[in-house]
Amino acid sequence: MSELIKEEGPQKGAGQQKVSRRNLLADLAKATVGLAAGVAVLSASAGQVEAESSTPQLAPSPAPLAKQIPQDQLILRMQRELYKALQKPAEQRQWAMVIDQRKCVGCSSCTVACKAENKLPPGVVYRPVIEEEYGTFPNVSRRFLPRPCMHCTNPPCIKVCPVAATYKQKDGIVVIDYDKCIGCRYCISACPYGARTFDWGEYYTEGTPELEKYELEPAFEYGEKRARVKHNSPINNTRKCHFCLHRLNEGMLPMCVTTCIGRATYFGDKSDPESLVSELIGSSRVMRLKEELGTEPNLYYLV
Amino acid sequence: MQKRLYYILLLILTGVGFWALGVRFMDGMSVTHLTSYFSWGLWVVFYIFFIGLSAGSFLLSTMIYVFRMHALERVGRLSLLSALFSLIAGLMFVLIDLGHPERFWHTLVYRNMSSVLEWEIHFYLLYILLVLGELWLVMRDDLSAMATNDTGIRGTLGKILSLGYRTAPTQEGQAKQAHTVERWVKILGIIGIPMALGVHGGTGSIFAVQIAKPYWNSSIVPIIFIVSALVSGSALVTFLYSFFGEKDAEKPNVLASLSNLLIMFIGIDLILVFAEFLIGLYSGIPQDMQSLKAVVAGQYGPIFWIGQIGLAALLPIVLISLSHKNGSDLMKGLAGLSTVIGIIAVRINLILPAYVSPQIPSLEKAYVDSRLVYSYFPSSIEILTSIGIIALVVLLFSVAWELLPVVSNSGHQTSGRRTESYEINTKGPTHTA
Repeated sequence: MSELIKEEGPQKGAGQQKVSRRNLLADLAKATVGLAAGVAVLSASAGQVEAESSTPQLAPSPAPLAKQIPQDQLILRMQRELYKALQKPAEQRQWAMVIDQRKCVGCSSCTVACKAENKLPPGVVYRPVIEEEYGTFPNVSRRFLPRPCMHCTNPPCIKVCPVAATYKQKDGIVVIDYDKCIGCRYCISACPYGARTFDWGEYYTEGTPELEKYELEPAFEYGEKRARVKHNSPINNTRKCHFCLHRLNEGMLPMCVTTCIGRATYFGDKSDPESLVSELIGSSRVMRLKEELGTEPNLYYLV
Repeated sequence: MQKRLYYILLLILTGVGFWALGVRFMDGMSVTHLTSYFSWGLWVVFYIFFIGLSAGSFLLSTMIYVFRMHALERVGRLSLLSALFSLIAGLMFVLIDLGHPERFWHTLVYRNMSSVLEWEIHFYLLYILLVLGELWLVMRDDLSAMATNDTGIRGTLGKILSLGYRTAPTQEGQAKQAHTVERWVKILGIIGIPMALGVHGGTGSIFAVQIAKPYWNSSIVPIIFIVSALVSGSALVTFLYSFFGEKDAEKPNVLASLSNLLIMFIGIDLILVFAEFLIGLYSGIPQDMQSLKAVVAGQYGPIFWIGQIGLAALLPIVLISLSHKNGSDLMKGLAGLSTVIGIIAVRINLILPAYVSPQIPSLEKAYVDSRLVYSYFPSSIEILTSIGIIALVVLLFSVAWELLPVVSNSGHQTSGRRTESYEINTKGPTHTA
């Protein structure tokens, strides 16, 4: 059934994967509690009320991490690992993403979720899904390549920025300071993955009888409230994937990870040898894009 | 009458350009046809074109003030002046290309030592000071004369620009002043050579350091930038001097020397371009190959063959060799003009073809949007702003030419010594002009 479980350990039998009705119910109950807690956190932080009292819920789960986790619970594991990583100082964690191309069905829901989460305008996309076709008829196959920012260890974009507006955080995320960026687009040219797009200041409902109000609603990228109105950053700035930094800081996984229908996208702390991403990076199926350029991406693909 | 018409035309074009600039600043970058995958276009083309013209003109002036090519003394000030105005044009183009032009000062405050562009902006500013300083030194005697002898606007201009300097009344004092000028111009020129090479070689490096674009990522690119800068600089000075320089006994000699230099630079440039294309096509790295094919036989083919090879190389060579036979100054001027226009094609082909192919195959089909495509043609606002800026700079240059002592020499030579012992001295009529 799953590549992951096979890799994780031969010591456990196939029977382990069968989930009894009781366990399922228990899991469901746990999930419901988790969801409720999540909603509570969200509403608390949104309302700016009782922020202090809600923080204990962000604390790591005291339960030890089970080595063997069924596929449908990988998201819980990533969630717990995220909490664990957030307890460490930023320089001791290294965020990384792994995308399993055999699981990706090319639904583009990550692209859409990302657009919605970050309220991306026309022409700005952080995570397109590239469709690759192999072979000639009748022997053909397709593969999908979601392409977020690679968050390179050695990023060519950062080297060229004339005002140091784009830089690498201690936790490995390549970010842009919208207020510093002068919009010269040097970094866009310099990125070997085409992972940076420019905000041209366009709107979807431009040219229609009314510019819809929701297009002017602020996005909360980098935890900053920025209304997208004329001439204000991020308009006329370069924009890029930031691993949903604003969500990470609140203890949530990146939107594309949460939304992936086939659980093909994994996220976690690469510097933690026990994390899911660390396990996956050890796979022989692992691949990175354009290794020959020496950019050392922190985005891994399983082919 | 002709002159009035010329100024009216320039004023109209400048006006249209200002309107277009207004639209650009009101509406932001959405007025361009640039895309996120084709992120630099016409404005960057003109930016490197004018920086090239500036560096080329300046290097030409160092041949006079540093290497003592007396044959070219006539055009020394002209080349410095065109270096100054070309640089202003180049900086204006890079300014309007910024998404947030109001933040240009960030480049001087927030530092990133590893950015070529960061270094270049500092180079440009130091270089503009250097050119201004040198220009003032070589013109200060004439400015002083203007301040004392002329009335009206020229007199006022002389008073302001001479910064209080006056030519000494005595012969002895004048000789001393001339000596100071000669020394300082030489010092500034010597500092200026690496600086001008840095200005344009560095501009080339902005592109050459990008591993994402195999078409640029080659160490020959900055060299091509410098050589083509020399081509464009000497072509511009040839054109200006031939068409608008005062006609006298010296002129044919000066033009002959200039056009010989031009031919030499064109020759070197052709060799380098040939090497770049031959190696690139032989190696056949896919992304590089697509760019090279687009230039040699694709959508940029006409610009390459007509502009880069025709106007910037073959036509000037033919015109100059014909002019050697019949001694026509006009033909040399035309050769210069044709080269300057051809260099625009060179600049287009240095920038745009790098963007024709996706960084990852099929990326253009992954998310369909008009701002996520690998094709580009400048928008009308981009074209009009470019015409406007060029018209404005030509206008300013023409006014400076009218008011300042650019070509006319007061007989007070900046380079005092004139002996026949210099190797590259072509003072004598070396050509049957």
